[in-house]
Amino acid sequence: MSLWAMEESSFYHCCHLLLQQSNQLKDGWSWEGSKEGYLKKTSFRSVIIDSRPLFDLERSCSEMGHHTSSPSVPDQWLDEKEQSAIADGHSLNGDMNDEDDLVYTVSETRSELLQYEYHILYSCSYSTPVLFFRAFTQAGRSLSLEDVWSSVHQNFRLRLQDSPLNVISLQEHPLLGQPFFMLHPCRTDEFMRPVLQAALDQHRSMNYLLSWLSLVGPVVGLDVPLEYYTQHCLAASLSSIKPD
Amino acid sequence: MSDNVESPTEALREESKPQSEDSATNEEKKKIDVLLKAVGDTPIMKTKKWAVDRGRTVQSLSQFISKFLKLDASDQLFIYVNQSFAPSPDQDVGVLFDCFGSDGKLVLHYCKSQAWG
Repeated sequence: MSLWAMEESSFYHCCHLLLQQSNQLKDGWSWEGSKEGYLKKTSFRSVIIDSRPLFDLERSCSEMGHHTSSPSVPDQWLDEKEQSAIADGHSLNGDMNDEDDLVYTVSETRSELLQYEYHILYSCSYSTPVLFFRAFTQAGRSLSLEDVWSSVHQNFRLRLQDSPLNVISLQEHPLLGQPFFMLHPCRTDEFMRPVLQAALDQHRSMNYLLSWLSLVGPVVGLDVPLEYYTQHCLAASLSSIKPD
Repeated sequence: MSDNVESPTEALREESKPQSEDSATNEEKKKIDVLLKAVGDTPIMKTKKWAVDRGRTVQSLSQFISKFLKLDASDQLFIYVNQSFAPSPDQDVGVLFDCFGSDGKLVLHYCKSQAWG
């Protein structure tokens, strides 16, 4: 097992600690299932579904110094965007830009109030937590995968560009057997490594799950209140006070 | 609540000069001191200490660092507080300073990673 991975028993212990804090902070997490279960949280989120093709985003970021070669957005995805735009009655904006090869862009952002349901499970294959989620509109329609990609926080959208399926895809929930969106865990150890290394170097405890959640949650609209970490800092500093 | 991409020409002022003689507090100035530290093999910024508007978001700061370091679009930049968690991209750095600053500055570690897929 990688040094930066997480044992299953450790996962359940971290879940327990997170639940304690969540109850104190009234943050809404609950435990579902019995011994082998998962953490669950439901929340409402006002989302801007940005259906602009991702290469539009890249162009607007070009002045930030990013590489601006033609992006490889799958053709099929573009066709679906066009179809849904027509179906919604939106006109195609004819942004004719002589400098690039684009014939048209579909410029459409819309705001929706969505109900999100987040599940945190343990992945035996990767020895890490995994985030599953699903989202519904107020009318009860579940979000499509394309809409989910379109609602990813802008901070992370450029990374989706090359292979969105490698980031978020539709999977069968391991315990419920229902379709859920999943945030792929295969590189969890990469962004967890700095946190774990620091904890090791500084001989302090940490909640792997809480740190992990802070890194992956914001991608899909799950922000972790700072109080989780201020509480943790306070507890850590109190425990390090030596008696006279 | 999503943070608009700010123009890159809106500069983070570099704190290269010593503090001026006026005794205005950071709060009055509405800027906080941020110290940026690289993690792993992420490039190190030549200037590490910055005076940053309190209202600037983490995402905005992240974009600034990415641009400064000329990172590829394929690189995801992660920012860590206390090397123990990542603040939300929409979080104001001023609030982070209030909660986690010490010795008059907020220390942030940053790391580039091919984090997804």
